[in-house]
Amino acid sequence: MIYLQLFFSFMKIGFTSFGGMSMVPLILEEMQSHGWMTARDLANLVAIAEMTPGPLGVNCATFTGTQTAGTLGGLVAVLGVLTPAFTLTLVIAIFFEKFKDSAVMRTVMKFVKPVCIAMLLGVLVTLGKDTYFSDGGLLIFSILISAVMMVLLRKYKWSVPKVIGLSALMGILFYGVLPLAQTIY
Amino acid sequence: MKKERVKKESALRTGIMLFLVFFKIGCFTFGGGWAILAQMEQEFVDKRSLITKEELVEMVAVGKSVPGIMITNISMLFGYHVGGVIGGICTVLGITCPAIIILSIVTMFYNSFKNNYWVMAALTGIRAAVIPIIGSAALSLGQEVLRTRMAFVILGAAFALYLLGVSNIVLVLTAAGIALVYHAAGKRIKDDAETIIKGENN
Repeated sequence: MIYLQLFFSFMKIGFTSFGGMSMVPLILEEMQSHGWMTARDLANLVAIAEMTPGPLGVNCATFTGTQTAGTLGGLVAVLGVLTPAFTLTLVIAIFFEKFKDSAVMRTVMKFVKPVCIAMLLGVLVTLGKDTYFSDGGLLIFSILISAVMMVLLRKYKWSVPKVIGLSALMGILFYGVLPLAQTIY
Repeated sequence: MKKERVKKESALRTGIMLFLVFFKIGCFTFGGGWAILAQMEQEFVDKRSLITKEELVEMVAVGKSVPGIMITNISMLFGYHVGGVIGGICTVLGITCPAIIILSIVTMFYNSFKNNYWVMAALTGIRAAVIPIIGSAALSLGQEVLRTRMAFVILGAAFALYLLGVSNIVLVLTAAGIALVYHAAGKRIKDDAETIIKGENN
């Protein structure tokens, strides 16, 4: 039953992710193991999720769920990814005063955060293969776009939607206009 | 009896208020969790004085250290603080509903346009930007986390295991498990040391 599978997949993702981008590697793994999504779809999804309002995790769950099993699939996936908030966080909210300075959670974060970085590096390798090598060739323009965007993000502190906008324009130029021009001349 | 019904009604009213306010915040906040937090501060600390800035900071600290989506965790903590269980649930639903609606529409368009020549070209460019976006997130996390030798060791070990084919979920759960053992052992050593010191004093 696809809905149950989606729900449990995203529940698993919810309970093992700690904030922001660290969810992306977990989503990729789950999606690939079920054959629901390719690395290319995931890269598109990250871009879409960053360009639309709302938390990344909810955006990702809606997109993947809808892609896999329609609107109901999207709702089920969101419910799955929200399970930690409705269970664990609710309990913590009730015992908030006790939990406020929890040394246990601090230790857990100390161990899990470096693992999140390792997972992000892993997902970069997977996405890099798909983004820079296509049909046996090296996509030089993609490497160029990546380099420019890295500088804009880190050095000039551009916001993510702006970076995505510019890279879309560069994509249209390099992968849309340029091949057409080459066939004409 | 009557009093209870009034209480229930007001809880429902608070819940609806929370849902609507967070729905509004969810509609217009680009750029993920931190932008939403800024909005929450404006709306609930400055405008409505429902919580103090310190309380919000505490909620953020806790919300960040429990699994799941940071902003929905914080929403739950906040909603519960203002309106109990109903308040918590309404707040989480309020912040997520706009995202669900918008993404459902976008996904529909994505499917009908993704094979268009120009859209494909744009997406190829965008995918090249996603790598530095994720890379930049990893860098920022690294600056925050990689301050001790132990953090580097964990990162190295986790990445090596990842390359060997260990799944991400197993990696996270193992790290959390080791942390719990480490915490328990550390506490025990501390307790033992305390009893020894106490014994010596006696």
